[in-house]
Amino acid sequence: MSTAPVVEQPNLPRWQSIALLVGAIGIAICLAGLAFETTRVHVFRAWLVGFCLTVGIALGSLVVLMLQYLTGGDWGFILRRPLEAATSTMPLVTLFYLPLALVLSSLYEWADPAKVEADPHLQHKALYLNVPFAWIRAGIYFAIWNLLAFLLNRWSRQQDTARDMAIHKRCEALSAPGMVLYVLTITFASVDWVMSLEPEWFSTMYGAMFGMGQVLSGFAFAVAMLVLLSRRLEVGQLTGGNNLRDLGSLLLAFVMVWAYLSFSQFLLIYSGNLPEEVPWYIYRFEGGWKYLGLMLVIFHFALPFVLLLSTNVKRNRAMLASVALLVLLMRAVDLLWLIVPAFHHNSEAVNPPLGARLIYVAALVGMGGIWFAYFLMQLQRWPLAPAFNPYAEGAVHGAVAGH
Amino acid sequence: MIPQELPPYGLVAEFDSAQALVVAAEKARDAGYQKMDGYSPFPIEGLMDALGHKANILPLLVLIGGVVGGLIGYSLQYYTSIYSYPLNVGGRPYNSWPMFIPVTFECTILGAALTAVFGMLGLNGLPEPYHPLFHVERFALASRDRFFLAIRAVDPKFDLIQTRKFLESLGAKEVTEVPQ
Amino acid sequence: MAQAPSQSELQEGQIIAPGHSFGTITDKIGSIVQARRTPKRWWTGFLIGFTLMMLLFLTIGNLLARGIGIWGNNAPVGWGFDIVNFVWWIGIGHAGTLISAILLLLRQRWRTSINRFAEAMTLFAVACAGLYPLFHMGRPWFFYWLLPYPNTMELWPQWRSPLIWDVFAVTTYATVSLLFWFIGLIPDMATLRDRSKWWIGRVFYGILAMGWRGSAVHWHRYETAYLLLAGLATPLVVSVHTVVSFDFAVSIVPGWHVTIFPPYFVAGAIYSGFAMVLTLAIPLRKMYKLEDFITDTHLDYMARIMLTTGLMVAYGYGIELFMAWYSGNVYEKGLIANRLIGPYRWFFYALIACNVVAPQLLWFKKVRYSPWTLFVLSLIVNLGMWLERYVIIVVSLHRDYLPSSWGMYSGTGWDWSMYLGTIGLFFACLFLFIRFLPVISIFEMRTLLPEAHVHTEKEAKP
Repeated sequence: MSTAPVVEQPNLPRWQSIALLVGAIGIAICLAGLAFETTRVHVFRAWLVGFCLTVGIALGSLVVLMLQYLTGGDWGFILRRPLEAATSTMPLVTLFYLPLALVLSSLYEWADPAKVEADPHLQHKALYLNVPFAWIRAGIYFAIWNLLAFLLNRWSRQQDTARDMAIHKRCEALSAPGMVLYVLTITFASVDWVMSLEPEWFSTMYGAMFGMGQVLSGFAFAVAMLVLLSRRLEVGQLTGGNNLRDLGSLLLAFVMVWAYLSFSQFLLIYSGNLPEEVPWYIYRFEGGWKYLGLMLVIFHFALPFVLLLSTNVKRNRAMLASVALLVLLMRAVDLLWLIVPAFHHNSEAVNPPLGARLIYVAALVGMGGIWFAYFLMQLQRWPLAPAFNPYAEGAVHGAVAGH
Repeated sequence: MIPQELPPYGLVAEFDSAQALVVAAEKARDAGYQKMDGYSPFPIEGLMDALGHKANILPLLVLIGGVVGGLIGYSLQYYTSIYSYPLNVGGRPYNSWPMFIPVTFECTILGAALTAVFGMLGLNGLPEPYHPLFHVERFALASRDRFFLAIRAVDPKFDLIQTRKFLESLGAKEVTEVPQ
Repeated sequence: MAQAPSQSELQEGQIIAPGHSFGTITDKIGSIVQARRTPKRWWTGFLIGFTLMMLLFLTIGNLLARGIGIWGNNAPVGWGFDIVNFVWWIGIGHAGTLISAILLLLRQRWRTSINRFAEAMTLFAVACAGLYPLFHMGRPWFFYWLLPYPNTMELWPQWRSPLIWDVFAVTTYATVSLLFWFIGLIPDMATLRDRSKWWIGRVFYGILAMGWRGSAVHWHRYETAYLLLAGLATPLVVSVHTVVSFDFAVSIVPGWHVTIFPPYFVAGAIYSGFAMVLTLAIPLRKMYKLEDFITDTHLDYMARIMLTTGLMVAYGYGIELFMAWYSGNVYEKGLIANRLIGPYRWFFYALIACNVVAPQLLWFKKVRYSPWTLFVLSLIVNLGMWLERYVIIVVSLHRDYLPSSWGMYSGTGWDWSMYLGTIGLFFACLFLFIRFLPVISIFEMRTLLPEAHVHTEKEAKP
């Protein structure tokens, strides 16, 4: 296989400064929003949405990385570096959480002593839903996630220089308990951060659905990045033929699993029609939220599903990247739809004023921009293709076959 | 009336390995033969290309089968619940679409799967109890460990003597004339 | 016949022993079917299955004569052994399609030697499962009332009922599994036809082979159809156990109306399915000396899948407990208390021991590479999955909202004889299958050899 000359190389430092600039503007708007009584509460909520999106991409990448260590396969090899760079943003994401930890009582009823006193239901849950315990749990989650991300990145670097199969085995050995830890932590984290926004509501499916959303975010992001970077030749050659198609098929599978979990929960709550469950969906079908819900059905499931059924779409770089970016955008919409209608009790959640809507966009763009800049910084620290890998040969073969 | 002697079906050449069959098919295709087919005990990647055959329409048929199955499934539920016998069950709307999805889904899969199986058999012309190649005794090994290339007499380039020579030049172990 | 290589040469990670050729693979698998003598061990196994199958017919005869009152079902426990066994069998029937379809799509080539008999197992398990709802109807001769057809009563099925979804899901699944299995058999039928030295064999396998002759054009369409079927069967297999879980979760009975049920039931089905594959594969490979094809590596992979799905099932049990407490709902809490300290508590603890504690041994490589330990573990998991359905169905039903209508349940002798009888039916069918059809896909095993891969002109060009 001959190496083609580098035709056009994306200017990563330039992208990084643009992302940083856009991020700074977004954050500035959020900070300005804090100054006004009417928008302050929206800044907190918007920050929660932005945090869930960025932590979702970082953690989802961690899961896909561990999944690839556990199951093997050529697809993981070419996705390795974007995934690793995304997981190494974990310290930044941890930093994003800190402001939330300080304003728990503005977001969660269970963190507000006056409300807990008035509600026996909240008193029952106070054993679990209380501020100190929530902080301790958040500390445990972040400690585990940071450690997993740190170790997998560090060992992968060592493997580049040491070229030692033992290090690869070590990654595999860490990934099995890593997956178990992820499932446990994300189950409780999703209860702590999102489900308990409506403390009267509960669903056993929620953790699985939320976690699957993260896996989808991480994978869609990594696929989109890989294709955009693929003009950088060392990985670019590996995105040809079957490898790209496999990534498309996996994206399809993840989209289908997400839709399956979401639809199952909806169907069961719709059919049960119980007063303690069904209001959750009623709030999300009120006002403009129903259009957002409809958008999710069409653009989060139906359109990517139909497009990814086609082999031609999966083999076309531009099409595959567009579908992945669409899914990523819909992840943000889904998180908005899950989080914001939860505040139906107190203020204009059903129909937020224009200024408040701007805050949500600013927070998503701002936190996303800063996060992306940090991601690019991590990405540029190492070559885009791992230097040593047992799957490298298969990946090269897969790129040639099926042209 | 049965004619005294039918023209032969064609010639069949036996090869030792999958590789030899693919190389022979490529050469025969380059030599201008069109009406030919390879026979092997397992699917060989690339043999279709080597023989110069085009891709098939089965995926399209299966897609249509699935869509038709799904439409039938949903419209059956819609018709019976809204027009034929509207029944209030637990205060749900007559068109309770979330609850119609499972049956619609199963019908989609059933339609597509039946199309895939019977479409494949139909396009392949199976079941086909009689085929001229079954006259060739060694052809029984095509389901074991031998590889065959058959060129049919209907091919415009076919000539009993020339084609036999050509097949022998490809390294065939044995070339046999296949009666009709 | 070429000399088959010995087992000792096998190394870890190999899915076929070295030294095989197209011919030896064909002979080794073909000779199981086309042997002159039927082994004594086959007769022993078949006769045990056949005897138990007679017990099934006796039970069904009695059931038709006297009605389902001979079972232990009562009010409030309207669903007893019949539905427990239905779900148990249908769960076992998931591994075949999973191995054949999902592992094919994931390009896991080790599936090749186990997919055929796992698919056969699926068919027989689904047949056993289907008997239970059929006979639970009381008047099984009116089963066609479940189907939508214009009739003089001017009635249609109740489309909002998950039981009707079940009719569609299970019949679709049975149909597609049968087709998938049959399609996979066609090329091997041709092999057996051409190999047969006896005219009855040639006719029998010849009819089933339908004139297959290994044409390249046919192979191409065949592979496309097979891949498409795999793509269709994958969501189908998930949907089947999802619909089974809907049978419970669409209701509002505490312990049944649980949103995690769909994925948790699917995981449980795969778990029990792989346990059953191991239960069958380990004695089978010993009996017919198939260690060349069903290697220790295969057992290792299946054990890993069992561990994974076992952990998912454990997650389901855990999240149910946590959410019941978290909900603060008095009925949810009551249900869990009844599960943990009620009259059926030992069923629950036995279930945890079988399904959660015992499989943790699979973390150790030594256990995964020890066939007989795996065999025992697979039996334990089969038992555990039966207990799981018993706990879900009986323990949830016997005490729900209204304490005045609480009651107890236990299976009668006829419940047990029906259960044993379906096990007999399953094994009798399985032994017949082993005797008359190739247990391992011959043509797919051939593709595992390096000689099966060719270089084309196109690849040579840059």
